[in-house]
Amino acid sequence: MTLLEVEDLNVFYGDLQAIFGLAFSVAERESVALVGANGAGKTTFLRALVGLIDGKQGRVRFDGRDIQDTPAEHIARLGLGMVPEGRMLFDTLSVEENLLMGQVSRRSGAWTLPRVFDLFPALEERRNHLPRQLSGGQQQMVAIGRALMCNPRLLLCDEISLGLAPVMVEQIYGAFKNIRKEGTALVLVEQDVKRAAGATDRIYCLLKGRVSLTANAGDVSVTELTQAYFGM
Amino acid sequence: MKGIAISYAVTAALLVAGPWLLGEGGLRFATECLLILAMAQMWNLLAGYAGLVSFGHQVFVGIGAYGLFLISDTLDLSPYWVLPIAPLACAVVASVIALPLFRLREAYFSIAMWVFSEIVAALVTKAAWLGGSAGLPLRSSRLLDLDWFEPVLFWIAGGLALGTIGGLFLLMRSGFGLGLMSVRDNDLAAMSVGVDVQRNRFIVFVLSAAGCGLAGAVSFLGNLYVSPAAAFDVNWVVYMMFIVMIGGIGTLEGPIIGTVIFFGLRELITDQLGYSAGWYLVALGTVAVIVMLWSPRGLWPPLRDRFGLKLLGVGRTAPTAPDVPPLAGKVGQLG
Amino acid sequence: MAWIETLVNGALLGGLYGLLGIGLALVFGVMRLVNIAHGEFMVLAAYLAVILVGLFPQVHPLFVLIPVVIAAFGVGYLYQAVIMNRVARAPDPLAPLLLTFGVSIVLRNLMVEVFGADVRGLQLGELSRASIRLFGLSIGVMPLLTLVAAVLLFLLLQWALKRTSFGRIVRATADRRDIVRLFGVKPDLVYNYVMGLSLALGAIGGVLLAVRSSFTPFSGVERLLIAFEVVVLGGIGSFWGALLGGIVLGMAQLAGLKWDANAGLLYAHLLFFVMLLIRPAGLVASRA
Repeated sequence: MTLLEVEDLNVFYGDLQAIFGLAFSVAERESVALVGANGAGKTTFLRALVGLIDGKQGRVRFDGRDIQDTPAEHIARLGLGMVPEGRMLFDTLSVEENLLMGQVSRRSGAWTLPRVFDLFPALEERRNHLPRQLSGGQQQMVAIGRALMCNPRLLLCDEISLGLAPVMVEQIYGAFKNIRKEGTALVLVEQDVKRAAGATDRIYCLLKGRVSLTANAGDVSVTELTQAYFGM
Repeated sequence: MKGIAISYAVTAALLVAGPWLLGEGGLRFATECLLILAMAQMWNLLAGYAGLVSFGHQVFVGIGAYGLFLISDTLDLSPYWVLPIAPLACAVVASVIALPLFRLREAYFSIAMWVFSEIVAALVTKAAWLGGSAGLPLRSSRLLDLDWFEPVLFWIAGGLALGTIGGLFLLMRSGFGLGLMSVRDNDLAAMSVGVDVQRNRFIVFVLSAAGCGLAGAVSFLGNLYVSPAAAFDVNWVVYMMFIVMIGGIGTLEGPIIGTVIFFGLRELITDQLGYSAGWYLVALGTVAVIVMLWSPRGLWPPLRDRFGLKLLGVGRTAPTAPDVPPLAGKVGQLG
Repeated sequence: MAWIETLVNGALLGGLYGLLGIGLALVFGVMRLVNIAHGEFMVLAAYLAVILVGLFPQVHPLFVLIPVVIAAFGVGYLYQAVIMNRVARAPDPLAPLLLTFGVSIVLRNLMVEVFGADVRGLQLGELSRASIRLFGLSIGVMPLLTLVAAVLLFLLLQWALKRTSFGRIVRATADRRDIVRLFGVKPDLVYNYVMGLSLALGAIGGVLLAVRSSFTPFSGVERLLIAFEVVVLGGIGSFWGALLGGIVLGMAQLAGLKWDANAGLLYAHLLFFVMLLIRPAGLVASRA
């Protein structure tokens, strides 16, 4: 069953077009990597999906429903969650309060505060800390936990390993195994192509706002990927 | 450029001939319009080009007026010769208060200016040597030729309005003006290319205060009488602001259009329809609010764009807000 | 002794001033917006109270606070929904500032035309004049009650913002108005509630101030300036700072009036300006 289906999506910033006729799909329980160079339009694409960018044309279906014109706050309630680039935590809220913001959408499911603390034990000890008192990796855990608290059917993760220590990246990617066990579908935006391919079923590569390659993660060769990545 | 020079010359000629073209009532009215226009341009210079919204510009109207009355009476000099004192006094006051006020940003600057104005108004009201709350008559008015009083005031007002517009026009075409507008459009970028933001703001603030002071002095010279309630009336800044808001902030043409609407509406509501000044302000404020909601930069920018008009184009136009959602503000970092 | 009494009374008045400031600070903290019309809305609430007291003379005047506060909340909600949300997202900070100023002028002159420019006040009968003796000082019962009410409201507001899920949503929206949308929160709706709350707090301040001193349609300016000074003196965004700022201003005003009977708010304004000169570091914005 297809969970997310995007056809012929164009996204604009004013007069500037960032995404050109994009087609994209994610099946239920599937995990997809979205790779591409800086400026390829990955973040723009995710933000357009969740409704944070208004200037978009095309067809976006989520869970059988057209959502291209749905405002972000309603899309969230349908079960499309996002871990935004740069984490974007609420700076004046404690770790626990940040996580509880995920509950505002009132979606029930497997993810509750205790479950998130099980997944990331480091957060339980620091539940009353402010985000700025945490390490970058711990902040990323809060961002992921906050999105999980919405119990999304599809979770979009934007550059979650950016700027983190390798050991932290390992921990976070380890958590994805547990997340997928709950049946959550995933889209991972990554710069690290190898890591992305290792953690997912399928790969999309974006180049200048267009899909330059889609392949099963196991089948794709390094040469193909490099070509699609740099457009050579 | 040539067209602008010609229309400028025609306007100047009309102003010279004004006293013979307009009746006595018309002349007074025209004088008032021109003075308010000059004040609005000065407020616009500060808000539209330097991004500093002042809610206390009435203080400069008052200081200009009191400065003129005090010096003219003390030295027993014709008020015409003392007029330059008014902008000078305002410039000095502005330079001094700029120091604490420039530490504040946006609304905090705006209201602190207002508080300053209230303080000065209260001190003047309490000062017996300034006539207290009753105010001062212009004793040196006996030195004036009253036959020519109204025409001369009209000429001064006309010169002031034309001078401010011409001066601003030239200023905005100069390197200083370009620097100013680049600061307004993008603080950081302008600073990184070496525009001294605080210095520019300071100069504009002082100029704006001086211009308002001169217009205020001429206005109260026309009344031959000044009182603190009238001179420091918050409505002065309300008028300036509404004119600029309605006409178009950060443009030279905007305040002209705004002044026409301001007085047109006043004549319509208070004169033709016979409503009170309070209702007039209600109507004016409603118009301003609606214009703001419809076009946050006032009437002139959309009119200009729609009809391709160019009256006093200064090479660069005020920026329209880019249609970029806040989250996507950093377009350079598209993933 | 007389001076101590003056200072104590100033502190009591200051509690009320803190209340004037807190509504303004709340809106600024959440939306980065200074609502210039805040003072006019307070005066409007006072007029509504006067009208209700006139209509229902058998009801104790303090009970009219309930309908007035509810009405103020509704007005604030609509004000934000109909007018302010349209410019709240404008990248140009001038637009909301000018807009609220425009609204304040419209309201002020509407009140002049509808209610007239006469001086009004709210009489509480015995309660207005009652006083008690404490440590040899004569202290008005009503000012004392006002301070207690102000402190209780401060505590209540702080509890609501820190401990309830509504407060959490408000603070999260203040932090990142776009990201909250990812969790199903509509920022415009949050703003509506916050403006409603702000004007409800303003209404309480406006009515209690009308009990203390008379007012006209032009009193909104004074109330706004006091509210603003309270917020800036207390350190922008700090709740208890606002209460402290209010107390300092109240003392300055009453001490000034004792010194010079027709000084009005001059000494409060002067104190504010001097503080601006000597303590600018405390004036830099931080968040609620």
